[in-house]
Amino acid sequence: MKGLRVESVTKSYGNLRALDGVSLTVEPSELVVIMGPSGSGKTTLLLTVLGVLRADEGHVYLGGDLIDDLPIEERRIGYLPQDFGLFPHLSVRDNVAFGLRVVGYAKEAVAERVREVLGLVELEGFEGRMPGQLSGGEKQRVALARALAVNPNLLLLDEPLSNVDEATKAEVKAKLKNIIEETRVTTVCVIHDARDAFDLGDRIAVMHAGKIMQFAKPPDLIKSPSSDLVRSLIASVC
Amino acid sequence: MPRDAFRVGLNVLACVFILFMLVSLFYLFAVVGGSWGLVYRAMLDTRVLGALWISTSSAFIVGGLAVVAAVPTAYLLTYKEFRGKELLETLLIEFPQTFPPATVGLVYLFMLGPGSPVNVAYTYLAVLIAKFYVSAPFALGLTVRRFNEVHSTGLDLIARTLGGRTKHVLLWILIPLSTRDLLAGFSLTWARAMGEVAATLVFAGAIPWRTEIFPAVVYLTSQSQPELALAASTFAGVLAIAALLSFKMVARGRR
Repeated sequence: MKGLRVESVTKSYGNLRALDGVSLTVEPSELVVIMGPSGSGKTTLLLTVLGVLRADEGHVYLGGDLIDDLPIEERRIGYLPQDFGLFPHLSVRDNVAFGLRVVGYAKEAVAERVREVLGLVELEGFEGRMPGQLSGGEKQRVALARALAVNPNLLLLDEPLSNVDEATKAEVKAKLKNIIEETRVTTVCVIHDARDAFDLGDRIAVMHAGKIMQFAKPPDLIKSPSSDLVRSLIASVC
Repeated sequence: MPRDAFRVGLNVLACVFILFMLVSLFYLFAVVGGSWGLVYRAMLDTRVLGALWISTSSAFIVGGLAVVAAVPTAYLLTYKEFRGKELLETLLIEFPQTFPPATVGLVYLFMLGPGSPVNVAYTYLAVLIAKFYVSAPFALGLTVRRFNEVHSTGLDLIARTLGGRTKHVLLWILIPLSTRDLLAGFSLTWARAMGEVAATLVFAGAIPWRTEIFPAVVYLTSQSQPELALAASTFAGVLAIAALLSFKMVARGRR
């Protein structure tokens, strides 16, 4: 597994500075949550790491390699958007197999890997279903299986719990954490809810107005928030 | 229960429009209704049949070519940002629909006619070229709109994060998710190409069994044999309605 290093990244939209000299290091196999209110720059940071946006200043390194100029398709970064982004015209099997077929896996190897990752996310027997026949939690796990199937260097999750209903949220959260721990994939997860962030993250980066205000383990954040602003942003878990 | 006056007004306006659009078709059938023998005669008239063949075959070819051309062009217009993109889109999609077709025919006649090194005027190829310019924007417009819709969902981005290159994004995501729109683009292009007359008449002429299209036959015979022209139009109209309904059924089957 590879680690991620974001170094002094700045990104502006016109006069609005969405990222203001952001630096962040994620260790291999670590799960880091980026937490903050809407407009704090967390999704911009995610999209910059993914390669959709290009930083005005600063650099992004993956496993020590500079990836600023690497095209999205060559970064091997798995990405789960808020709506999970399942291909609606493809079955669960074909969704999960997409990346494997792209890189030219043999038919038997594709079938074997699809079986393996669907087992990992506890969705055996769902191969023939279409995305429209799945619940929110099931869609998320299929999307996760699809991203993990190609052994990504890094996994980026954008608000993974926003489309999950409250009744099943705790279960979905636990499964998500288990799968990430089991695969030991380095993960960066954007979450606006402090409680969800504390449940999931090994470390939490609290963002506000394009800056990381504090980056620490959950107990350290609770014990010693760096400012009143951070204290107010994590108030719901204190 | 109080009467919904607004809804009644809407229905009346809709009925006026529907009546306006259908009355000419009903009138056509009413006029020839008393003389189906004329329609039968038109069906056996070799000139009418030849023109119908030229019109239908060229419309199918133009429809197919328009879809083939629309896919790469729509991809370019969806993903490439460049100065003057909006102007280019206007020139490719909306402008050809406002440009007088007779002028289109005239431009091609000068550009690719007897005075130019490449003379294709008054040939079947001229029929295709004239019809293509006038009709293909329908396919392109629908394809661009659909590609933009798919792009806004971010599914193409997901495909790229999975290692997908342009080939995979286009062939495995964009085209499968746009099948209905590509079929609708084909159908609209076909319909417009079937009805096109002025550009084709100017550039390709009206040589029976070579370049004479069906609307030209109707126009040319409307002076001397108006009943035959109407009867032939009835025959062609039934064929066109059948073809358009078939396209819709195929598109529905793709849902």
